[in-house]
Amino acid sequence: MNKFIKGLAVSALAFSMSAGVALAEKTVLISGWGAQSGPLKSFGINSETILKAAVDKINADGGVKLKDGSMAKMVYEYYDSRCNAEEGIALARKTATTTNTLIAIGPTCSGVAAASYGVFQKKVDDASDTGLQMPLFTNTAVRNGLAKISQWTFRNTPNEPDMYDKLFAWVRKTQPDLKTIYGGTETDQGHSAGTYSKVIVQAAIRHGFEWVAGPIDEVSGKIASGHKNVIKASSNWLMADTSFSVQARAFKKSKADVYLVSSHPFTTCGMLKELARQKAKPKLMIGLTSSSSAETMKGCAKQAEGMIIPTSFAPVTPEAKAVADVAAANGAAADLHSAAAWENVMIIKDVMESVGISANGENLQADRRAIRDGLEALKTTPGLIGTVTRNQEEGEAFKPYVFVHAKGGNWEVLHDPR
Amino acid sequence: MNVEFIDIVQSLIDGVLYGSTYALIGLGFTLIFGAMEKLNMAYAASSIGGAYVGLGVSVLFSFPLVLIFFIGPIAAGVLSVLVYFCCFRYLPSNNHLAALMASIGGLFFIDEIISHETDGSPLDFPELGIFSEAYFEIEFSDMFLGFRGDLIFVMFASFVAMLFLLYLLYRTRLGLATRAVSQQPIAAQLCGISIHQTNSITFIIAGVLGGIAGCLAAASVGVISPLLVLPLTVKGLIVTVMGGLGSIRGAIIAGLLVGGLESVFLLLRGVNERDIYVFLLLFIFLVFKPNGFFGAEIDRD
Repeated sequence: MNKFIKGLAVSALAFSMSAGVALAEKTVLISGWGAQSGPLKSFGINSETILKAAVDKINADGGVKLKDGSMAKMVYEYYDSRCNAEEGIALARKTATTTNTLIAIGPTCSGVAAASYGVFQKKVDDASDTGLQMPLFTNTAVRNGLAKISQWTFRNTPNEPDMYDKLFAWVRKTQPDLKTIYGGTETDQGHSAGTYSKVIVQAAIRHGFEWVAGPIDEVSGKIASGHKNVIKASSNWLMADTSFSVQARAFKKSKADVYLVSSHPFTTCGMLKELARQKAKPKLMIGLTSSSSAETMKGCAKQAEGMIIPTSFAPVTPEAKAVADVAAANGAAADLHSAAAWENVMIIKDVMESVGISANGENLQADRRAIRDGLEALKTTPGLIGTVTRNQEEGEAFKPYVFVHAKGGNWEVLHDPR
Repeated sequence: MNVEFIDIVQSLIDGVLYGSTYALIGLGFTLIFGAMEKLNMAYAASSIGGAYVGLGVSVLFSFPLVLIFFIGPIAAGVLSVLVYFCCFRYLPSNNHLAALMASIGGLFFIDEIISHETDGSPLDFPELGIFSEAYFEIEFSDMFLGFRGDLIFVMFASFVAMLFLLYLLYRTRLGLATRAVSQQPIAAQLCGISIHQTNSITFIIAGVLGGIAGCLAAASVGVISPLLVLPLTVKGLIVTVMGGLGSIRGAIIAGLLVGGLESVFLLLRGVNERDIYVFLLLFIFLVFKPNGFFGAEIDRD
């Protein structure tokens, strides 16, 4: 009996010592949020899976080197912002004010990003602005020109104006017989509608394509010119729509050479199925960056066949292929949005090590500021398919990209302009 | 794009075909209102809930997917009668507001359960096989009118369900009891008809109808989503009001009309204004024709 009690006491002591060591282990906390419920659920789930894989990789390699030379494990918390602006704002406030989060990653939806960036301090060191002072590094929300809202917000998202400009230039060069365009978008989704009217249509017109029913007022080919008129001239739908008969008929009636379908996978598939049902056969279809995902292939691979989309991720390098494999092994898919979460975590680690943080909780605000300054100072960052150039003034990225097309149930690289 | 007359006709055809699901939902509302003079706001939610249960059970037990169209309506019937017991049965029969509020609670409760269990994400729903691929075109000089095969099937199935309902109501003792309770509840009770039993059966029948509508609506889209619940509830209410509260033929006609007009509004005014005009229609009916098309035919003690 005595032996048993002694053994128990020794075990308890050993456990408490190991627990003490564990408690003393330094950690750096990053937070993330994205849509993990609702129609865009897969975006958040894919992002978290890849974020977790990146954090695991960093920890397996020893962790993050701190200012004093010691190593800290990276830990993360991930929340569901449901593609809801209020939820995004609440999460930004919560993580900035009640946790030791050094930097956050997210959100998924551009509408949430636009709203939540607004609660961050606009300009650093502005004593009159009591906005949140924690760096936020977005991997998914892609609508053009958001990061400049605050000097604490940064993005590692593709530059769609550049991507579509190059895409239409390439189409013009390789298929000179294509002349006319017609399209539509889901008007209740900021990214879909904004990119469609301000970027895609403008890029097409800039490269000599003609709107099928004649010029649209005020549309000059410059980003955002006459965007309201573009929406008005198009045949659109909403994200919750279930019937696309009228819109598909307008597409078919247009007899345009090129169809522009700017929406997320859920409604892209609804629209493509209806176009196929009505035997509308354009010479070319161009889609929204966010539709170059596994969801589109899962929902309507047959109908999407031939659709071209520019994307900032494809498994075209060993690093990109490795991330795609890690994602697949964990039941997720690597695409332009989720793969950026990997890049963000790696960039954050490099920045933390280069600026030197203490991660002791007492210097939380100083650490956050150092990370922000470090991010702002970056001119280039390593990306999975090539070097990413940063626009330091606006906190945005110029990511390398490729053009993919739907072929045989997969997105295959059609042209590599890197 | 220039809108031609043929486009309007085509939109009307598309909308009327899809409107048959609205008619089915409107029928369920009407049936319950006719029997109890109360609105069951949880009706569309239990209909979509049934379709979800059908999908879940079929996938879980690897049943042939065609069974969804049988399990779904049965499950919707069960959900509907549960709504009856939770939101109507034990509330004072003369307190209409309490039942209305309870059923609104039921609507959000079922909707939340669906959203919670599916994370609010759309799920693939089996399409209607060869009907989904089929598309028929009729040529007029150099113009074409198109008909979606799956929507024709939806309309056909809806009409079969409606005919079955009419048979049930006008050719069976159960229907006689339902109509008796609906028209003269006290006299019906004095004749030995159990009001609660009749109401329960009415809820089951309405639920099964709703389940059919839910399954057909999801099948015609190829996905099922919690996003379907609120639009179907609103459209069902509009149909019920336009047709005349309690009128079965009114619900059928109004359902097809709302579907058709919604599609024409979409064509003429775009997606952002489409629903404005549908709601305006409801407003116009409430102000200028509160009894709807056939509201005058409703008569009770």
